[in-house]
Amino acid sequence: MSDLALFSRKPTMSVNGYRVVQSISVFVIALVVISPLFMLFIASLKDDRFQILADMGSFRAFWVDNPTLSNFREVGNFAGELAFGRYLGNSLFILGSTVSLGLVINSMAGFILAWGSLPGRAVILSLIIALYVIPQESIIMPLLIIVSRAGLSDTFTAQILPFVASPLYTFLFYQFFAQLPKELYEAASIDGASIFRTWWSIFMPLSLPALATVSILMGIETWNQYLWPILITQTDYARPISVAIATFFGQDSIYWDRAMAASVLMMIPILVFYLAFQRWFISSFVGSAVKG
Amino acid sequence: MTALTSVPKRRRRSIIARVGWPRFLQEIGMLAPAVVLMTAFLITPFLLSFWTAMTNQPLVPRPTPVRFVGLNNFLRILSDDLFWTSLWNVTRFTLWVLPVQCGLAFVTALILNQKIPFRNVFRGMFFLPAITSMVVVCVIWGTLFQYPTGPLNHIVVSLSGGHIQPIDWLGDPNWAMVSIVLLSAWQAYGFQMIIYLAGMQGIPDELYDAARIDGAGAWGRFWHVTMPGLRPTHVFVLVITTIQAFKLYTQVAILTQGGPKSSTETVVHYMVRAGFEEQKLGYASAVSVILFLIVLVIALVQRRLMRRFDV
Repeated sequence: MSDLALFSRKPTMSVNGYRVVQSISVFVIALVVISPLFMLFIASLKDDRFQILADMGSFRAFWVDNPTLSNFREVGNFAGELAFGRYLGNSLFILGSTVSLGLVINSMAGFILAWGSLPGRAVILSLIIALYVIPQESIIMPLLIIVSRAGLSDTFTAQILPFVASPLYTFLFYQFFAQLPKELYEAASIDGASIFRTWWSIFMPLSLPALATVSILMGIETWNQYLWPILITQTDYARPISVAIATFFGQDSIYWDRAMAASVLMMIPILVFYLAFQRWFISSFVGSAVKG
Repeated sequence: MTALTSVPKRRRRSIIARVGWPRFLQEIGMLAPAVVLMTAFLITPFLLSFWTAMTNQPLVPRPTPVRFVGLNNFLRILSDDLFWTSLWNVTRFTLWVLPVQCGLAFVTALILNQKIPFRNVFRGMFFLPAITSMVVVCVIWGTLFQYPTGPLNHIVVSLSGGHIQPIDWLGDPNWAMVSIVLLSAWQAYGFQMIIYLAGMQGIPDELYDAARIDGAGAWGRFWHVTMPGLRPTHVFVLVITTIQAFKLYTQVAILTQGGPKSSTETVVHYMVRAGFEEQKLGYASAVSVILFLIVLVIALVQRRLMRRFDV
């Protein structure tokens, strides 16, 4: 840009004008993106649900005079009504189990597909890629039959097991393992390491990028599950926080104060992870899209 | 001749002979969990959906046996006005959300691709809605859409100097889908933004330098370097957004339940209502088969287009 300034005046002017437009647009987009989220956090600290709505139309939406955690205390029970402590715990349990099982199972399969010697690996791999096109929504009705006939309605298992093995994540692991150098694998087999050992002690420690990508994508997907848990949970026992928050909308008069506090509870775990590993989050989502 | 006949024999023996039983069993053991789980929870329900779609399977088992009804479910779906309304609604949703969401994502990515201060901070900020759960987004926008005194109406009324009356965002059949589009675009555009950013960063700097030497201005460089370089990204973004749009469900189920006057009824919502609320799993499975076919066609079109731009 500076080389333009040496030669003429006009480009400099237009560059500055361009800069102004750019800054204004960034500012406007930031405002549109951030203010609703900011409002949510502020409103969750306000006690009076009618005041929350009244404040919404003005700048008071971004300010709270007497911040209080009373909404959180109201919804943060572990039993009975508004047991959002329990729902949050349920969601975290489902998240932890799905992601940890998913990392092990998908990476094992991806490793065998990349470095194993079983016949038919190429067929399995192309089948897995083909399966990726099936949307969850279109198998959910028969899945409901299978899972409820297996006696798993209203359990944690029903929310964990069906989503552990996934074509996308097996493929991502396969892709990652396949591009690691052959010498790595050969050295391990010369040393007499079993294939399981080679996967666990040699390849897994080198797979932080793949492990992070799959954890993040799987984590977000699991955390945001809504349709399946609504079909499969009937009681508080295994109900995740997403379904519980949606029940606020079924009431005649919505308790926005409580809904906001519950929403903040739901956002906090993801937000903490996001702020800590932002770069990983963004590269994971790009990585999920690379395959055509 | 002898060489030809001996080859398959050696091959057949070689798997176990080459790696031995322990390793063979280990490999099976490592691949099996994924294969078994995918078979049980992905392949089986998928195949089952084609069978169930041709039966009168209820959700809760009944004493009367399940009957094979052939293509009856499909015929009934295709003659149900509500199904066509829902298909038209998701098409409408797609046609509106594509330009809004992808356009916003594209412009934002263009800006963030420049050397602006705090670029990474803005990028991180703009991606925040994309990791926010749709349920939470519905709580937020549910308040923004309040009628008649919500924040959006406040903005609309004061910007128009009182000429525009407050809008019943979610309660007016003419506005409900627009509201769903706004909220959906806000939630999801961060994903398209980072895909575009990655695409823009994949265009080599030499191309821009060459264009600059040839005397191309900012506009020329955009039109002759950036846009052609982004062609595969455009295809990918459009297809992925279209597929997502056709699966529209959560925000509609929470905020409008398909109403008012079926103006936000979607294919997935129609399917869930038939299968879960009306307990007609056979009928719902037939809807899910149709949904799968729609997604398949879109994915095949993407394949074709991607191959044309040889990616």
